[in-house]
Amino acid sequence: MKKSLGSRLSAWLVNISIAMTALRTNLMRSILTTLGVMIGVFAVTLAVGVGSGAQVSVMESINSLGSNMALIFPQPDSEGGRSTFERGRLTTRDARAIEREIDGVSDIAPQLRASITLISSGNTASTSAIGATPAYGRVSNVTAQEGRFITDADVRTAARVVVLGTSVAENLFGDFNPIGEQVRINRIPFKIIGILESKGSSFGNDNDDVAVIPISTVRQRFVGDTLAGPDDLHILFVGFQDGVQLSTAKREMTDLLRDRYKVRGRDGNPFTIRTTEEFMEETGQVTGIFQTVLVAIASISLLVGGIGIMNIMLVSVTERTREIGLRMALGAKKSDIRNQFLVEAAVLCVIGGAMGLLLAIAAGAALTAYANFPVPIGMGVSIGAIIFSALVGLIFGGWPAVRASRLSPIEALRTE
Amino acid sequence: MSQPLVATADLVKTYELGGETIHAVDGVSLTIENGEFVAIMGASGSGKSTFMNMIGCLDVPTSGIVEIDGIPTSDMSGDDLADLRNRKIGFVFQQFNLLARTTAVDNVAVPLIYAGKGGEERRDLATQKLIAMGLGDRLANSPAKLSGGQQQRVAIARALVTEPLMLLADEPTGALDTRTSEDIMQIFQQLNDDGITVILVTHEDEIADHAKRKIIFRDGKVIEDSIVTNRRIAAPEVAA
Repeated sequence: MKKSLGSRLSAWLVNISIAMTALRTNLMRSILTTLGVMIGVFAVTLAVGVGSGAQVSVMESINSLGSNMALIFPQPDSEGGRSTFERGRLTTRDARAIEREIDGVSDIAPQLRASITLISSGNTASTSAIGATPAYGRVSNVTAQEGRFITDADVRTAARVVVLGTSVAENLFGDFNPIGEQVRINRIPFKIIGILESKGSSFGNDNDDVAVIPISTVRQRFVGDTLAGPDDLHILFVGFQDGVQLSTAKREMTDLLRDRYKVRGRDGNPFTIRTTEEFMEETGQVTGIFQTVLVAIASISLLVGGIGIMNIMLVSVTERTREIGLRMALGAKKSDIRNQFLVEAAVLCVIGGAMGLLLAIAAGAALTAYANFPVPIGMGVSIGAIIFSALVGLIFGGWPAVRASRLSPIEALRTE
Repeated sequence: MSQPLVATADLVKTYELGGETIHAVDGVSLTIENGEFVAIMGASGSGKSTFMNMIGCLDVPTSGIVEIDGIPTSDMSGDDLADLRNRKIGFVFQQFNLLARTTAVDNVAVPLIYAGKGGEERRDLATQKLIAMGLGDRLANSPAKLSGGQQQRVAIARALVTEPLMLLADEPTGALDTRTSEDIMQIFQQLNDDGITVILVTHEDEIADHAKRKIIFRDGKVIEDSIVTNRRIAAPEVAA
């Protein structure tokens, strides 16, 4: 005798209503049991959210560098070979050679970095200066939201001009628009020509706490005497056209620079090349591990919650042995009894899971709002959390339910 | 056509208790025809309840045969037995065995869940049976809000809701006072008059005298199987 879909559905609805009655009967016990699952689902969901938040955050900060580029540092790199250089080298001439000889290069942005202190009308701000060329703006998607960015003329004349990040501008001038104002940088007077577009923060690191100054000015005024050569660089950004294979470009640049520095065989290089592609991959791995560890730790609380469910379901089965016997006498099959208790466990878990999910969404929103750390808990994660809660119920309710279904009707009925 | 509703042959049930073998039912062979009203009697430990549980397919015999409506039950699976109980047997218990915090209608509808009936049909059939039991104004009451007699009538409605061939009642009046017991026996007699086979277990002669046939157990064996002479007819309830 095959049951129709309607009567099957109806049987499940009946089971849910039986479960609700049973849970209401022991309300306090149900709430306490649910609490375990709630905390477990809260912890796991939040861990997933924090993990993907970290991922998003890092990817954003990598993207804020520019999407398709390589970074070259004058740092000795002995990867896979002998270390031969004590000190790294990277010069403006190297940059020009790369621009000239490597295919697909769209821009080169040589830079110097310096720690600076700005003073204006009694206010002081310390920040790091990026000594750059106009190409830096193009490669890193940096623009001036007010005033203007540095120009080739500024670089050519080593002009004493500065473009401030919004945080620096705020620290020095508050709400006052400082464009055109004078500011003393390391005691030298500069003119403020623009304010940078805000880039927010990533991983608690304020991207707007910077100042952009022409590279020639930084070399002349701040770092010239610390460099090995007159045209040495601290860092070089190489922007590539869309579709350029960064791994290939990296190999070509490595060969070119090794040639320029006459590095032979298995000797290490006086420079280090990193591409945004590598950053993405590496941080993807790191944040992936971070998320896995977080979720693993959080899962322990869900496991404990699940064991709580199993415990209480065993108690419930024992308490209701007589009811089970009665239902069997009235025609309940093994599967009917098993499903009844499975549904009860699943309902318990789904209620707990839903509460845990709401709590996690609230906590995620609070973290996003107050700690400036994105915790995205999307539709997929939400649905996953609910399904997962039901699964916890089915897994941990499984054994008690099967035990209930294996009772002999007469033994069960005789139970007092 | 004249196949018995219940037939047992050499039915045996033994228990191991403290290393000793107890013969609860010891080789019982008897038949019960459609439409009979049988009282099974005996002292506590005589095996009458164990016999009842086996013909009710709740308990499995150690050996021997139970046939219900011509179907041998010994090779049936637990689920097939459940189905058989659901369709052919209605149970009435001494302690009513109603689900607490569940309305009369929902209690009566429980067997229909396992018969695979839909929600609306369950409610309709259950309501009909409760009205037939004179509980039309108690449909939404939970057992806690019903008297003992009313609870037993809900239980009888539940036993009848799948239109079974027979009612098995284990000490159905054991928890009721004399007056209420009389009401319940009247219901059983009425149902029997309508064609349902009634088999009840009791240790009270007065209750057994309402039946048409009396089977007495002692030490797991039938020692008497007789027609009830001077059958008591339960009087309709008088205004108290």
